[in-house]
Amino acid sequence: MSFSGLLLKRLLLSVVTLWLLSLIVFAGAQLLPGDVGRAILGPLADARAVANLNHQLGADRPLVVQYLDWIGHFVIGDMSMSYTFRSPVAPFIINAMLNSLKLAAVAFALVVPLGIGGGVWAALHVGRPLDRLISVIGLSATVLPEFVTGIVLIMIFGVWLDWLPITATAPADADPLTQIYYLLLPSLPLVFVLFGYIARMARAGTIEALDADYTRTAVLKGLPRRTVLWRHVLRNALLPTITVIATQMGYLIGGLVVVEVLFHYEGIGSLIYIAARGKDFPMLEAGILSIGIVYTFATLAADLLYSALNPRIRFGAVE
Amino acid sequence: MKKNDKFIDSVRRRSSELDNHIIDEFAAGHIDRRAFLRHGSIIGMSLPLLGGLAGAFGSSLWLPSTARAATPGGTIRVATTVPAAAIDPVTVADGGGLLMLQQTGEFLAISGPDLILKPVLAESWKPNQDGSVWTFKIRQGVKFHNGKTMTAADVVATFDRLADPANSSNALSAFSGVLSKGNTKKVDDYTVEFHLDAPNGNFPYYVCSDNYNTIIIPADYAGDFEKNFVGTGPFKLDKYTPKVGASFVRNDDYWGPKALPDRTEFTFYADMQPQVLALQGHQVDIINQLPAISGVALLNDPNVNIMSLKSSAHTQIHMRNDQAPFTDKRVRQAVALCIDRKKLIKGLFKDRADIGNDSPFAPVFPSTDKNVKQRHQDIAKAKELMAAAGMPNGFKVKLTTEKYLEIPEYAQVIQQAVKAIGIDMELNVESQDAYYGKAVYGQSDWLDSVMGGTDYGHRGVPNVTLAAPLKSDGTWNGAHFKNKDYDTLVGQYIGALDLQSQRGTAGKIQELLLDETPILWTYFYDFLTATTKKVSGVRATAMAQLFLENASIKS
Repeated sequence: MSFSGLLLKRLLLSVVTLWLLSLIVFAGAQLLPGDVGRAILGPLADARAVANLNHQLGADRPLVVQYLDWIGHFVIGDMSMSYTFRSPVAPFIINAMLNSLKLAAVAFALVVPLGIGGGVWAALHVGRPLDRLISVIGLSATVLPEFVTGIVLIMIFGVWLDWLPITATAPADADPLTQIYYLLLPSLPLVFVLFGYIARMARAGTIEALDADYTRTAVLKGLPRRTVLWRHVLRNALLPTITVIATQMGYLIGGLVVVEVLFHYEGIGSLIYIAARGKDFPMLEAGILSIGIVYTFATLAADLLYSALNPRIRFGAVE
Repeated sequence: MKKNDKFIDSVRRRSSELDNHIIDEFAAGHIDRRAFLRHGSIIGMSLPLLGGLAGAFGSSLWLPSTARAATPGGTIRVATTVPAAAIDPVTVADGGGLLMLQQTGEFLAISGPDLILKPVLAESWKPNQDGSVWTFKIRQGVKFHNGKTMTAADVVATFDRLADPANSSNALSAFSGVLSKGNTKKVDDYTVEFHLDAPNGNFPYYVCSDNYNTIIIPADYAGDFEKNFVGTGPFKLDKYTPKVGASFVRNDDYWGPKALPDRTEFTFYADMQPQVLALQGHQVDIINQLPAISGVALLNDPNVNIMSLKSSAHTQIHMRNDQAPFTDKRVRQAVALCIDRKKLIKGLFKDRADIGNDSPFAPVFPSTDKNVKQRHQDIAKAKELMAAAGMPNGFKVKLTTEKYLEIPEYAQVIQQAVKAIGIDMELNVESQDAYYGKAVYGQSDWLDSVMGGTDYGHRGVPNVTLAAPLKSDGTWNGAHFKNKDYDTLVGQYIGALDLQSQRGTAGKIQELLLDETPILWTYFYDFLTATTKKVSGVRATAMAQLFLENASIKS
């Protein structure tokens, strides 16, 4: 199969996956107790007022009608109106998605070099105290929940030392550097969560590659250590790590509710959380599908990168 | 002294029978100065007059402070809970939302810190003989932020809109049985009459800041408040971003004294913890509402001022009067006797709460009869009652409640306390959505559970809490309490115009509820607002409103 044919197949599969996802979200949202009118007006509101509001919003229509109406608009690029905010969903999603991507990018830029560097360093010093230290630190940091590390970091750097801003949201007109400055503190809990994971993968991969026959051959034929490392060891060792990093994209984009709430950041995670609580179905669907899309593309990109690095599975190479 | 007598006489000659009754009560020492001010203000006596009378009778004067702080200018930054939905005066139902309404909108009157009504867009009001028609004089020379002049037509439209069952109005439940659509009538451009469904001695509270949806907005309102925030207040909208925040600037066309700050900024938070951190990290100056249980870190912080307002906010624990094991009132009394209320208040609220006596009459209400004996923990008595009811060994029961503020901890305290009389209590703490369900009988754990715990926000008068959760036809009657004598007494209380008869009926209601114990009321917690030491002149209400026009900040 040609590269473009494979890409097309993967894209079609993604569309089917996303459609299934939208069905699951819709069905799941129906299982949540309560309705949108009640969520807006509160438990003590008059039943007539609640029924009126549900009718105004169209939330009292049959489920199939609601779903078809929504997906009919979604496929032509219209995300519909939010039930809760009574305004178009799209600006909320775009703004939140951009924010989430910024935070993910900063966290990514910090954790990937640190994780890979730490892992490779540990692999090159297997069994020595430094290796143990990196493994122990990585493992401990991974098991600490973000809200614990987040609060500790805020207390140290935000309140006591007063070095970094407590909220992740920079002033509206801030330049990119200022925005990164505001995102440093909120990125750290994510770095903690992911560092151990990435470092362990990198370490395991490197150790395996160092033991491989081709590495021995490369060393024996007299290549300098640096060349052996870069050209032969790392290129092979980091393949699984790339897959791992790609699968973390979903978490980095959509799974940061706790960090977003704690650092007061308008990301897609907290948007979805609030939409689910408010029974705001159009917002919920659009939010989850956007994460689904990012996740799908991240996985696809990882596969492409993987194949670029690994000639054995390079597309078309088999035929 | 002679001059004072003259003043009092001249006031008496000009005053109605009802006004004179209040003056008599105060002169005879039946009511204290605070109750005099508050009750006089309900029936429409002006605050300066009341203050003057209080002074003439030798009582020192307290009026809602309008003292201006020294430094105008600056920006006040407030942290608040994110508004739950679009900002629309008709539908808003949450703390974040009602705070936004009131930043640019104004009420006919404000229920201040002492629950004394202070006129704002109304200049004065008067009931008819039986309290079934209330006439409000509307302030002249008030302009909306869109430049139009406010008149009686806008007031009539505002209340008709809110009392209309076809409008998704959040105020509908407060107005049902009180004010119907079409019964707010314009007399002339600056006079409005409210023709009530039944006599109501506390009616002005239904059209003041307590009924937070009732900000006066233009008659031609098109449902787009969030776009322009057109009200009449001392601040007007600068920018509103849903879920993120809002900013307001001084309204230089304001009818009253102009606001001191140039600007106010509100940042919306999804949780309490980040608000506490933001105040500690100097990113905000005020936390609008600080629940004691999540704000412990700030309560003893020397860099923080805590403004504490007495309120009637509470949690009700209902016991189903029509279901075993609570059909026998002795069992209900026994449960109530197990709880050490003082310890509870210390533990859950760091003493920032009033003790409850198993009725909605919170100590903060002037009509509460304080001579009714307070119920205290008495395990021996509780055991006796259980034995007399034929359950000396206790029983198993489930307490269903919601995950909200201190309620899960409160439920645990009750669970431990009733062990003393052999009750084996299982706790079922649900999300608020699951607990309230459809909020109608048969489809709501709140209204159907044999024992349940429910939060009730602050109200300036106990009318709603006396009726909906307790009257035989009440819509929130989780206890399924049905008692004809009670229904009659509540009718009398709500219709009573003068404080002495309100208090007389209140005493009877309190005794009846103490005996029947359909619901436990063990505390009424204070409303807390936290500010940094740099801010002064901030006024809050226990309804979660925040008035910043007199606020100033040291740079």
